Amino acid sequence: MDTSQLLKGVLDLAVLAVLRKEDGYGYDVLRRLRQGGLGDVGDASVYGTLRRLYNAGLLTSYVVPSEEGPHRKYYSLNEPGRARLLESGRIWRSFARTLDDLVGEEA
Amino acid sequence: MSPELDPAVRAYLDRMREELSDLPAAEVGEIVDDAGAHVAEVAEEMGDEFSAAALTGRLGTPEAYARELRAAAGYPVLTAAGYPVLTAERPSGTAALAPRFTLWALVACTLVALAVPITRDHDGMELFVLACLVGAVAAGLVFAHRPLVGEVTALPEAVALRDGLRRVAQSDAGRAVAPLRALQPVWWLVRAVVIAALGVLLSGSPVVLLVSLALAALSLVAGVKARTDRRWLWITLPATGIVIGFLLALVGSVLFRSAAPTQVSYNPQPQLPDNVYVFDKDGKPLTDVYLYDENGRPLDSPWYGCGENRGRPDNQYPKPRVSQGENGCEEVRGAPFAVVIPSTAPASTTGSTTTAPTTTTAPPVTSTPPPSSTVTVVPTT
Repeated sequence: MDTSQLLKGVLDLAVLAVLRKEDGYGYDVLRRLRQGGLGDVGDASVYGTLRRLYNAGLLTSYVVPSEEGPHRKYYSLNEPGRARLLESGRIWRSFARTLDDLVGEEA
Repeated sequence: MSPELDPAVRAYLDRMREELSDLPAAEVGEIVDDAGAHVAEVAEEMGDEFSAAALTGRLGTPEAYARELRAAAGYPVLTAAGYPVLTAERPSGTAALAPRFTLWALVACTLVALAVPITRDHDGMELFVLACLVGAVAAGLVFAHRPLVGEVTALPEAVALRDGLRRVAQSDAGRAVAPLRALQPVWWLVRAVVIAALGVLLSGSPVVLLVSLALAALSLVAGVKARTDRRWLWITLPATGIVIGFLLALVGSVLFRSAAPTQVSYNPQPQLPDNVYVFDKDGKPLTDVYLYDENGRPLDSPWYGCGENRGRPDNQYPKPRVSQGENGCEEVRGAPFAVVIPSTAPASTTGSTTTAPTTTTAPPVTSTPPPSSTVTVVPTT
């Protein structure tokens, strides 16, 4: 199965998780996801996901002027975002365990 | 040079913006701002290896980028044909009335604004005023009701138009002129100056001058705004139309005027009216009179009879009048008016009885020897 197919469903969770400890701007979030092992994640997907989470009211944003290059828009988790992360995380772990059990028997 | 200002980055973002253009303008603006920072940063990372091709190699085409972003952000996705499949139903029937009116008002207003200065048709002024009113209503609608822009861009005709423009932009010719986009601010300035100049030229009234200055400033602001907010197109497009129309008219009149001297030639034939009516001293109209100038040349003028579309020049006057009556075309002979010959000469008032005195006074006149040859001829005959 193509990883990108899997990623689509869990990208929300991954982005929220990356922003849990530290605020980040788009490219920064992308790099942290890749460093975390999600090499297949698409640039545009990350930006789209950030935008959607922001529109859903799970993120707040602020702009940091940059001396060289364009200004950066940082995103940070707000309270609804943290709540969503906790809930999604719980669902994910339960789902992963279930799938682990299933796949583990077969493989 | 900041990579943000690189034309390749700008072109990439413009194509992205185009791909997202059915979304609310404010949303597109923020997305492109975000992605712009990203694209600029990627470009910077590439350093010397940066090029438009390298950028596409790294990020995919702007269209693909926009589509992926659109999908991840949960916006309505585009089908392969490029038509947006909106989660809300596409405007149709009466729901499409307002967006359809708004779109076509913009098109009509722009075309009329372009055509009126070119044709310099004064009857066109009413059409122009009407188009202005319709355009103003459309602009008012768009600004009062923000989502209308989204509905307009989702109209099938708007989608088709956008696809056409995109194809043009991606053609070889379109790519060749793409760098000219960087000159857009210059055009905004030119447009504003021309609008202000039009106000100065067309009227000396200070009110009109102030209004035209305000319109010039508005068009300048609208140019900047329209990049991110499509509602401003309802101001920029008609403004562009009228300025281009005026500039074309100006170029046309300059060309015409510079070519004019070669067209003018000295015409020895005196200008004649189309018809000439000749009356004798009693006010009786004369017919079949032939006119000649001092050199014995016939004074021809063209005459268009019934069923003739080519003028037949001759010097016989008066020419029959052509009138379109109930029985079709008719050629009417005779003068359409009567005249009273002013009685300045006493001879004409006294009539035939004065002929005798004039003949009696004639001998003294002829007895004085004038050097004129005509008089000397008379006695010999």
